[in-house]
Amino acid sequence: MSDPIGLALAILGLPLAAAVLAALLSWTKLAKAAHVPLVVACAAAAVLGVMLLLKVGEGPDYRFVSTPVTWFSAGHLTVNFTVTVDPLSSVMLAMIAFVSTWIAIFSAGYMHGDGGYGRYFAVMSLFVFSMCGLVLANNFLLLVAFWEGVGLCSYLLVGYYFEKPSAASAARKAFLVTRIGDTGFLLGIFLLWKMGNWNTDLTALFDYLKDHPPDQAELTTACLLLFCGAVGKSAQFPLYVWLPDAMEGPTPVSALIHAATMVTAGVYLLARCAPLFVMSPDAQAVVAWAGGVTALLAAFLALAQTDLKRVLAYSTVSQLGYMFLALGTGGAVSPAFAVTAAMFHLFTHAFFKALLFLSAGSVMHAMGGVIDVRKFGGLRRLMPVTHLTFLCGAAALAGVPLLSGFWSKDLILESLTGAGASGRPYATGYFVLAVVAFLTAFLTAFYTFRAYFLTFWGPERVPEEAGHHAHESPAVMTIPLVVLAAGALFAGAVAEPFTHWFSNFLGHTPSLHQAEPAEHHFDWTTAGVGTALVVAGIGLAFLWYRKGTEGEPAGLKPAFALSRNKLYVDEVYEAAVVRPAGVLAFLSKALDGFLDALARLIAAVPRFVGDLARPVQNGLVQFYALSMALGLAVFLTFVVFRVAR
Amino acid sequence: MDRFFDAVASPLTGRALILALVALPFLAALALPLLGRAARRVALVVALLHLGLTAAVVFFASIQISARAELAGAVRDQAALRFQPGYVPGDTAGRHGEDNRTGWTLMSLAPPSPGGKAGPAVQFFLGVDGLNLWLAALASVMLLPAILVSWDAVTDRPGAFYGWLFLLQGAAVGAFLSFDVILFYAFFELTLIPAFFLIGRWGTGSARRDAARKFFLYTLAGSLLTLVGVIGVVLTNPDPVTGRVTFSLPDLMGNVSFYLDQAHQEALAGRGEKLAALQQTQGFLFLALMAGFLVKVPVWPFHTWLPAAYSEAPIGVTILLSALLAKLGTFGIIRFVLPLTPDAAVMYGLPVVGLLAAFGIVYGALCAYDQKDMRLTVAYSSVSHLGFLVLGIFAFNAEGLSGATLHMVNHGLSTGAMFALLGFLLDRYRTTQAGRFGGLMGRFPNYAVFFFLVALAGIGLPGLNNFVSEMLMLAGLFAARDGGAPGYGLAVVAAVGIFLSAWYVLTMLRRVFFNPLREPEPADAAVRPADVTRREFFAFGIPAGLCVVLGLFPQPVLDTIKPDVTVLTKVGEAARARVAGVPVPAEPESPPPPKAPAPKPKDKKETPKKVNPKKDAPKKDGKNPKGGEEDEG
Repeated sequence: MSDPIGLALAILGLPLAAAVLAALLSWTKLAKAAHVPLVVACAAAAVLGVMLLLKVGEGPDYRFVSTPVTWFSAGHLTVNFTVTVDPLSSVMLAMIAFVSTWIAIFSAGYMHGDGGYGRYFAVMSLFVFSMCGLVLANNFLLLVAFWEGVGLCSYLLVGYYFEKPSAASAARKAFLVTRIGDTGFLLGIFLLWKMGNWNTDLTALFDYLKDHPPDQAELTTACLLLFCGAVGKSAQFPLYVWLPDAMEGPTPVSALIHAATMVTAGVYLLARCAPLFVMSPDAQAVVAWAGGVTALLAAFLALAQTDLKRVLAYSTVSQLGYMFLALGTGGAVSPAFAVTAAMFHLFTHAFFKALLFLSAGSVMHAMGGVIDVRKFGGLRRLMPVTHLTFLCGAAALAGVPLLSGFWSKDLILESLTGAGASGRPYATGYFVLAVVAFLTAFLTAFYTFRAYFLTFWGPERVPEEAGHHAHESPAVMTIPLVVLAAGALFAGAVAEPFTHWFSNFLGHTPSLHQAEPAEHHFDWTTAGVGTALVVAGIGLAFLWYRKGTEGEPAGLKPAFALSRNKLYVDEVYEAAVVRPAGVLAFLSKALDGFLDALARLIAAVPRFVGDLARPVQNGLVQFYALSMALGLAVFLTFVVFRVAR
Repeated sequence: MDRFFDAVASPLTGRALILALVALPFLAALALPLLGRAARRVALVVALLHLGLTAAVVFFASIQISARAELAGAVRDQAALRFQPGYVPGDTAGRHGEDNRTGWTLMSLAPPSPGGKAGPAVQFFLGVDGLNLWLAALASVMLLPAILVSWDAVTDRPGAFYGWLFLLQGAAVGAFLSFDVILFYAFFELTLIPAFFLIGRWGTGSARRDAARKFFLYTLAGSLLTLVGVIGVVLTNPDPVTGRVTFSLPDLMGNVSFYLDQAHQEALAGRGEKLAALQQTQGFLFLALMAGFLVKVPVWPFHTWLPAAYSEAPIGVTILLSALLAKLGTFGIIRFVLPLTPDAAVMYGLPVVGLLAAFGIVYGALCAYDQKDMRLTVAYSSVSHLGFLVLGIFAFNAEGLSGATLHMVNHGLSTGAMFALLGFLLDRYRTTQAGRFGGLMGRFPNYAVFFFLVALAGIGLPGLNNFVSEMLMLAGLFAARDGGAPGYGLAVVAAVGIFLSAWYVLTMLRRVFFNPLREPEPADAAVRPADVTRREFFAFGIPAGLCVVLGLFPQPVLDTIKPDVTVLTKVGEAARARVAGVPVPAEPESPPPPKAPAPKPKDKKETPKKVNPKKDAPKKDGKNPKGGEEDEG
């Protein structure tokens, strides 16, 4: 058990066993205990995850690759079951196991008494398994397998309340929109396979490409195709539309899958493939711009949402955009620094966003399933614990100094300003993106605290659906909140600014160039400007929403209306993509009728010819005798004339 | 124990098994019509017996073929460029030897020549190799769900129904196992007769007679052209030494490559007329041969018989039509078109047929989306998936052909299972209109599990069977040597096709399994429809379970496919060289150096050997560059 690969496989095996066990339990009378396997498996995995971190941190080897076992192989294509353990994957693994433990505990309370209890926990376990597999996989197609696996679990959990038509559409949308990205992802993989000497193992492929630099245009194409997959999975512009709808699922699902883990898979993918992206500045720039556009756009859309979970969903989209911003600077600043910034934000974001979602779930639980901030307010006194934990999460997300979000956001801003000043290609663009990032930071602080004030401040209002539920949640739900709140407050400060644990550890990842060590100094200007913007955003929110009701000035109403209607992006997609596809399908069906008619027409030719000839066969003996006589006459005439000549 | 094993696995046993595999369904077809109500039980027993025989054949043959895989890599002469059927009944080498040809003559075209040698003859030439082994197994497996879903649904003269069903299966098995071109053709056409009567007599729709007639005439029209092509190939490729025509496929392959090789040498020496003439002839023969197979697959735009036939036929028959008969078309292309007209397959394969197939992928998906009847959705999805399969075939390289051969089995399993699952609804509600259902996930939870599993297999979810074969075919398109940019274009279309399949399948799932509960009037008003019964559990569980097994452990199947795919790959390499006008590469299509030491025969896939971390890193670094050098050569 002491070697890293063994530990990693144990972590992988635990949730799989839990999934099988939960599925079996759900068939028996013990369905009420279906949460036990997941909680136990995750807790054990979290312990093992910490052990793994310590083990990997020891050095001097920082990369362990398991012996490949062939999954399938023909011709040049060989696909292996193989995993890799390095600082990057072990950090992810530990984070996933830790967060999912607390979310699993929370779920036990949140889903209590629900009809599909066993199904819920079976799929959740399967998800944790797939997610662990995703970060461990050392083969592109194996990665795709787990990548689709988490997508499937997301589909099943978003559509958990299957009788709800909105949940049904959201589930399908989530799967299909990410699948658009996955199509590109697959093509990118095969392009790399062809470029990289028919390798599909990540480590072998990267090593080969490092020694045999490929054609620049081809590499950029491949990188962008890989990025397509990340865009779909991590809900970036233009494929972000599925994530807000995915909030139809149970709230713990949103916390685990759509905030802390699955949606960050795209960020992880790019971090893992950093050796490729470093070689292609063009692809890096595209990544940065996609991230920047998404960060700003989603922050704007979050401004005026009235559904608490949707505010958080857009905020997730926006924060993921932030991570891609950092990843996109990988060529202009040291790749290790860029990846560290993105991964560190991913790490802290997992804590505070999971916390925010779970707090929102706690509110929703108390309000009888209502999540519209207009229908309730002033819950400060009714739900004191939830109020405080939500406040911790909101402050961390907004980037209040010294909390987790502050440190990671600061790192990203530094990477951007650094890239802007680097003088490398696209430096001006990075400078513009840095401005975008600052603007986003301001908006983030504003919308987060708008949601906070609308929910917890002002006079107490409770919707009638709440009934007798309107009280603080039970301990099984509040304890996870408190634990995650501690993480949201302190994880960032402990891990990075004073100790540099995180960046040192991640810097050991062999795939990140170690030539330029990731030294960075705390930049007071960046931090100062960032803090000022955060304070301004929170202050503005306090000014307008402290009464617990909407209070934005009339002059801004149109902008807020635009934000509330999501810039009509869904409508545009409906008109530009969904409808035309439906029309095309209808036309194809019509064409099919035409083809069938054509085939019938051709088939009718023999009958038509037959119809022409049929009168000759009329069954009258006299007619046959007559035609025989005439025929004979013609023949004889012919012969006579031929012979006579 | 070993001696016992050797005795059981001797060629003689294998030959007897092969004969029984073909004969048993025919005997059953003769006997079953005499029985009345008991027919279905007898049919089930016979089907299980057949499955047992198949299991035995698969067990012995896969060992034998995998052993040959080692050999095939080593032999690089002309003899390697022909199929090598094993377990040939009537093998001329006698009781215990094997020379892979038969002495059983069906019909002699000329009296024995003075030397005492037999004249050209159509032979009863059956055998098994990597290409047909799994398809024969598929034919055996899929009969079970076909019988089980017909259990209660067919009440009208069940004896005759099951008799025809077995005739259909027997003809399909016979066609898969044939190595004589005329014998193959006879079996190929024989499938039409039972299908015609099954659709026309027991069909469920009002237009069943029309559908049966259309199916029969359309496919017959195509396959008559194929007969012309077959005869053309036979006449243009007599034995170079004796000048005698032959109907044996391995011999024909040898002759074809002999003539082409000869012409190729001349062309390289500057006299290209002979090669040009041969290639022109091949072009015509290719068209003729393809005609029947294009209809049978079907490739757009020759698919219009399919929706009617699939939706009008009784559901048990639809299972066999989709799982087996469609595969006869693709199998025919791999087995006959590629080896007999290789140059034309290179010249017109991807550029012409591939274009049609690629169009069909998108077109079939669009049509599938817009159907109201789920049976039609699945029918059109077949058009789409089989388009992908045809692309994989014409990539004409190891990845594409392995993927295509595997995909025939995979698609047969998942589509057959899908139709079987629709039989569940037909039994209970007499309809498969998607719009009349809703929320079935809560109503029939066990049914939903099966349905989701099979539907997800169909859209290529990793871990299930179709993913493996689709990835291989996609790789084949990327690696297509002659493809270049158009190859990438086709690969993009194929990948888009995978996305589109998710689109229409998930739309169907949303309608039927999500949303508030909605169910039509039950067929039997007195009984509230219940969830999956034990009979249905086996009908769905067998193919669904195989979908999972083949998704996780496809390598044993791929290993048996490999030797024959290697043969075809070499044929393809030579054809590409001729078309390009260059000498055949000395070391054609060398298999890549295994990046990992090939897994020792070890069953537990989940436990990679634990490596000492200290030792691991240098070892790996040393290995990768080496892999690179070998492949670059």
